[in-house]
Amino acid sequence: MDIEALLLSLKLAIWTLVLILPFGVWVAHSLQNMGKYRSWIEAALALPLVLPPTVLGYYLLVGFGGKSFLGIPLVFSFAGILIASLIVNLPFAIQPIQRAFESINPEIREAAQVSGLSNWQIFRLIELPLAWRGITSAAVLTFAHTLGEFGVILMVGGAIPGETKTVSIAIYDKVQSFDTSGAGALSLLLLAISLVAIALSYGIFGRQPSLQKRWDS
Amino acid sequence: MGFLMLNVKISQTSPNPIQISFECNSGELHALVGPSGSGKTTVLRTIAGLNHPQTGFIQCDDEVWFEANEMRGTITALAPAQRSCGFLFQQYALFPHLTALENVCIPLQNSGLMQSDRNTTAMQLLDRMGIGDLSKRMPHQLSGGQQQRVALARALARSPKILLLDEPFSAIDAPTRQSLYKTLADLRKDLNIPILLVTHDLREADLLADRITVIDQGVGLQTAPPQVLFQRPRNSRVAELVGISNRFEGIFTEGSLTWLGSSHVFQVADKGKIPPNTSVAWVVPADGLSLHDQPTSNTIEALVEKISTLGQVAVIQLQVNNEAHSITWEASAAEVKRLGLESGKKSYLQIDGSKIHIMPLRPINDPRRFTS
Repeated sequence: MDIEALLLSLKLAIWTLVLILPFGVWVAHSLQNMGKYRSWIEAALALPLVLPPTVLGYYLLVGFGGKSFLGIPLVFSFAGILIASLIVNLPFAIQPIQRAFESINPEIREAAQVSGLSNWQIFRLIELPLAWRGITSAAVLTFAHTLGEFGVILMVGGAIPGETKTVSIAIYDKVQSFDTSGAGALSLLLLAISLVAIALSYGIFGRQPSLQKRWDS
Repeated sequence: MGFLMLNVKISQTSPNPIQISFECNSGELHALVGPSGSGKTTVLRTIAGLNHPQTGFIQCDDEVWFEANEMRGTITALAPAQRSCGFLFQQYALFPHLTALENVCIPLQNSGLMQSDRNTTAMQLLDRMGIGDLSKRMPHQLSGGQQQRVALARALARSPKILLLDEPFSAIDAPTRQSLYKTLADLRKDLNIPILLVTHDLREADLLADRITVIDQGVGLQTAPPQVLFQRPRNSRVAELVGISNRFEGIFTEGSLTWLGSSHVFQVADKGKIPPNTSVAWVVPADGLSLHDQPTSNTIEALVEKISTLGQVAVIQLQVNNEAHSITWEASAAEVKRLGLESGKKSYLQIDGSKIHIMPLRPINDPRRFTS
């Protein structure tokens, strides 16, 4: 079992989550009040969904060039794959949160306004709790997706053990070197982690209030 | 009436045209009545600051909430949070993730009170609404009437200077509605603030309001106490909207009204406001009508078309002027018996000219109103 690769994948997933979630909440919330440019911004943010990972990886590779991030080179480094992971995960982080904000009845916001709440209070006390399911859903999707990300990571980071060699790249390496049992074990582990994460999200956060009511009565 | 508290003038052409101005005094319950889509709710939202008209003036208790004119654009536009108003939404708009108590606590967030004091205040409000025992329930665990009471407690939590009620009784069953009417009547006495009620139900407005503003296609047509509105509608459209059934047309010349489509002439009051030979609409209240079994000098032959008895009251539909017009007359069941009325029977109707109210066919600001 390649524990180093597993820990690196978890590190990447956690960092991605920590950085992208606040950004995702901010973007999703801001998109609600965006006027005529909204559809263009939404299209740009959804691009990683349809773009082949190799294409995105290629542009990032060219874009990073010899640049560094806080003194750390971006190409073939953890900082590089973290930035790549953040970009790839934009739609997974933003879209569920955006849908959650959109599903809040506008009258609820107006009721908060006429109750004398400031915009920040409305966000903190009303919108954020009501969008909570969307945010957890975004977190689970981002986490699971980062664990399994392959193409962009390979293009930008290569396969440097302890630096850029994540679980999915380790699986690929093991298959290449005919270590099918090692690849199988890692694949099973990735499958289990993803399944648990999604089940947790559905089970704990995914219940509809109406269903809850029916079960309680 | 107390001193003037709320002064509203709104003028906008889009998204939906609104042209209205009225006042509401402290302690007054003022109803905005009109058909669906007439702009009643927009007016209420504008007062609360949820909608900004192109021009207008909204003042509450010496504080200008909104002021905009064509010359200078928007001069003042306070945010909804800065306007001291309680707003009751048609669909309650309770915060679904908070308990009844927490919902009522929300407007107290910026009150400067400690959390425990906020809870106490909110609890007192829920008790006053008669639902103190439901304070820990979530909105989805409450009935429509209970949700409405939580929403009312929330609207009152900030001790607002005005209370705005948007169709508050439309989604509630009849028995609950009766008890909410009583709650509102009690509140009104205690609060002594202007209360604006938006409703499409004229009977409700008649029952609850001190004054009614009739609004149609965004235009405020008339503001008057209910009894004045029913007896002296300003124009034909108001008469139609307030459901006056005995509404006819005629030609008015210096105190004489000729019933259009017949030769009957009535002597009516002339206030000198209407030029001679003007087409007018006219209405006659129930007490201006009487029915006789024998003709006299100024009676009109009428044929009983239909008699509907509702308890002790009978509504009689009469055909007059060779079936050109239909008149509704209300009488007691005893009166119907005394006159021996039945469908198809000929009878004699007397219309008291002094009770006739004449009015322009078109609204007062319509340039076509005097053309016949």
